[in-house]
Amino acid sequence: MSIRLDQVQPIIDREYDYLMTEHPHWSLTKGDQDLELVAHALRVLLHMKTTPQHLAEYLALVDCQHADGGWGKMSSNKESAAWVTAFCALMLIRGNLHLKHPRIAEAVRKCARYFLETQKEDGKWSDPSWADLDAVSHPISFFDVLLAVGRNLVDEPTMARIKDAWRKGMRFMLERQAADGGWYDPEFHPTGVEITAHLIQDSIVADLVLGNELNVRDCCQKGVLKLLSVQAADGSWDGENVDHTMDCTRSIMLVCSILGTRAQCDRAIERGLEWILKQKCDKGWPDFPGMETNLERTCDGLDTLLKYKAYSQPVTTAIVKLWGYAA
Amino acid sequence: MIFLAKAAEIPEGERKLVKINGLEVAVFHHEGRFYALNNACPHRQGPLIRGTIETAAERAGCFIRCPMHGWKFDLTTGDSNGRPANATIYPIDQRGAELFIEL
Repeated sequence: MSIRLDQVQPIIDREYDYLMTEHPHWSLTKGDQDLELVAHALRVLLHMKTTPQHLAEYLALVDCQHADGGWGKMSSNKESAAWVTAFCALMLIRGNLHLKHPRIAEAVRKCARYFLETQKEDGKWSDPSWADLDAVSHPISFFDVLLAVGRNLVDEPTMARIKDAWRKGMRFMLERQAADGGWYDPEFHPTGVEITAHLIQDSIVADLVLGNELNVRDCCQKGVLKLLSVQAADGSWDGENVDHTMDCTRSIMLVCSILGTRAQCDRAIERGLEWILKQKCDKGWPDFPGMETNLERTCDGLDTLLKYKAYSQPVTTAIVKLWGYAA
Repeated sequence: MIFLAKAAEIPEGERKLVKINGLEVAVFHHEGRFYALNNACPHRQGPLIRGTIETAAERAGCFIRCPMHGWKFDLTTGDSNGRPANATIYPIDQRGAELFIEL
């Protein structure tokens, strides 16, 4: 790999310090927050291995969980939504692998009930702010982690319901893959880049858990090839979209590690990462080149570098752990 | 009324981001008409200035699609066709060679 870890580590250290100086702007202990941003910040804490120092952040997230088990876009919102609930649920289940707090464990069980009760007959979840494929992929990701590392959290009958719901959701996703390997939504994702990046990383776990029952290895490999085919010459994806380039770079790292196709993907990952590093502001990352820094994107940038560190290790489990699919 | 830009600064088919007291206004010149709207998409604050202008078979008018997550807004009304929030539109008053908006 041409990007050396001794180049990456100082950037990680500086950006993490910057994120900590911005604590009042993302911490629920300081007031009402955008929960998607909160979840992005908590993921950085997880991957920096500082979660045990931040129990208060996780308990504050539990405090604003609704009675139905969900959350809204803002912590003060009263109505639950699938997309953001999945973000919060993922951070709680993964955080509690380290914190082992009974209130967090109970909150995770409430999340599971929320998703079991709100799944539609065809296997999807709906959220008016997102495409159906978005709204289904994140709860599936939560169930992925629950199945992989959280089986002791729920009783056997509930786990059986979760497996059934997970399988239905997985089928909903996989059956909608286009012949070219991408996933699309004419309203939300005409280019298909972001949703394809999300769905291959959420789907690949089925291979770890189900074997090849759903032909998921082929689906994911086709998805990776689709993403490789639409990477721009400068290394970016989706019209110089920093968020989507980070999504693609991270997702390909995970999927090719599990599929054993790293040699096919290494150069694309490096080019993506080189482009991401070029777009950095003095502090943090923007949504698009030349824009002002954005805290959520900064969390994504840090996450991408931390995943690259894991990807650079010889054992596949290092990167799998950063998706929560292994303890 | 607040001065936005000179019309000549935004030729047909072009766009310009104008900052007014910290507010970002995305200005588009499309098929002979100027449009101005808040640059921040109400979904996740994506920059509408980088969006694609589209027409829709099922609806009259022209639309701007956010580059972040695809929300699409009527350039004239800001309507998002059923999404939870609409874009903020600033009607343009063209006075000779200059464009003005009211905030």
